[in-house]
Amino acid sequence: MSYALIVSEVRRGVFEERNLDSIGLGALLGKETVLLAPDGAYEINEKLVDTVVKVKSAEDVYLNPMNMGKILEQVFGARGKPDYILFTQSSSGTEAAAYTAGLYGFPVITDVSAYDKEAGVFLKSYYSDKVFGQFKASGGPAVLTVRSGSFREFAGEKAAAAKAETMEGAPAVDSRTFVEYVEEEKSDIDITKAEFLLSIGRGIGNQDEVASYEELAGVLRAVLSGSRPVIDKLWLPKARQVGTSGKTVKPKVYLAMGISGAFQHIAGMKDSDCIIAVNKDAEAPIFQYAHYGIIGDIHKVRDKLKEIAKA
Amino acid sequence: MNILVFTKRVAATQEEELRITGEGQAVDLSKVPFKVNDWDNYSVEEAVRIVEKQGGAVTAISIGDAESDEVLRRAIAMGAKDGFLIDSGQVLHDPFARSELIRSFIDKEKVPFDIIFTGVQSEDDQFGAVGGILGAIMGLPYSSMVVGIDSVEKDHVVVRRELEGGLQERVKIATPCVLSIQSGINEPRYVSIMGIRKASKVERKVFKAADYAAGTAKIEVVKWVYPAKKGGATMLAGELADVCGQLLGILKEKGVCQ
Repeated sequence: MSYALIVSEVRRGVFEERNLDSIGLGALLGKETVLLAPDGAYEINEKLVDTVVKVKSAEDVYLNPMNMGKILEQVFGARGKPDYILFTQSSSGTEAAAYTAGLYGFPVITDVSAYDKEAGVFLKSYYSDKVFGQFKASGGPAVLTVRSGSFREFAGEKAAAAKAETMEGAPAVDSRTFVEYVEEEKSDIDITKAEFLLSIGRGIGNQDEVASYEELAGVLRAVLSGSRPVIDKLWLPKARQVGTSGKTVKPKVYLAMGISGAFQHIAGMKDSDCIIAVNKDAEAPIFQYAHYGIIGDIHKVRDKLKEIAKA
Repeated sequence: MNILVFTKRVAATQEEELRITGEGQAVDLSKVPFKVNDWDNYSVEEAVRIVEKQGGAVTAISIGDAESDEVLRRAIAMGAKDGFLIDSGQVLHDPFARSELIRSFIDKEKVPFDIIFTGVQSEDDQFGAVGGILGAIMGLPYSSMVVGIDSVEKDHVVVRRELEGGLQERVKIATPCVLSIQSGINEPRYVSIMGIRKASKVERKVFKAADYAAGTAKIEVVKWVYPAKKGGATMLAGELADVCGQLLGILKEKGVCQ
């Protein structure tokens, strides 16, 4: 049977919104769409796919890539192998996709952000979105991870609700087990509440520059935030991170200085009312998402802004 | 505790303009500087810290051309005992082919290990798949996105995985295992030029990729393309003072700045 298997992601009782992108790509592929989901009481719009298969596995068992391998074995046994297996491009989705590909010897393409139906190729980012490779897979069902925000517009409602099926869960492995969730430490600053964020990235160069951007934020009455490289280097605390692994922000103005715009960062700020980007690289992906852009030396822009604003 | 760490030499393209050659056959990297993959730098640091505390040895392994010796010297300068280069000549785009090569190499050379570290992804291709495939084909448990290693015991490790929105999960994994290390897990030590020079006195072994089963590539790049242009920004141009004046004008207009 010809079908696309959508391995959905459910965490802490929430059907993650990025599943819509997997559903959208599934629809584009033009196959019967079968959505796999764990046991639990959460909402799914059942008109978006042809079949929903609920596995009688607890959420944490289902999210474990090694258990997923066993669950998929049962799916294949019941319906045959699919043409495509779609995971979310996320912490757990990517982990399970790679492991599944390895277990079954299937080709894998991660971070798929577009599909050209005529050519039968999937677009995958290289060098932080500076170029894309058009990929073809062969030798088995293609395992894909789907970039959040890329395909949800193609997830359309069908006339009828999906066929509902249930499946016994597989016994959980003991070589990897879930212990607990760890919440982020509380911080006195909540960047999601700020109306104006000044966000700094790798382009600031080194730690000594941070204080001067902090000063600029003070002058402009903005709150200082940062992209992943700045947080990784401990130049700013984790609570100030904008992006998928940090905070999603929607300020009135988002002023990005020295941020090239990795998609994980874009996903965390693209809904801001007004995005202004300053970067010395004219090809930086962030200029595609910004409303206003300045190509230039961010330190010079910083110093001049301070000078004019103080005057 | 013996830890194998994979480290890759990648093109530093952050501030480079990339050109696609011909009809999309290749990406021209001839004028781009190269460096160690950020994620691998964190992995090497994490491995060295564990060994410094608990004993054992770190072996750094790189797949690539002869130039990749530079990331091995770097790893040795940071504290790795050995450096192995698997000379592959050309770039293997397929993470599956890379994982097969690694498995075959470890099997054939009987390289002993308790844990294998890979970076979550490499900066160039951003596949993020080698660790997971490797774990599966070697029959080992796996975790990606490791942002903390809480404890290393005889038969298991407890790690923290980064999820979305600042959330983490703690998981327990039996050893031997494969872990993919996320950036930010530690503060990698500074490596001086002197340190790297000293490290070059440690012999690095070179192996030929052709001597191992590489597996057939399951995916291929048909063509390279530039990103689709979206609306794009309105560019503020002119003298610096003028541009900054315009920017402040926008801030005022949006009501966030007086």
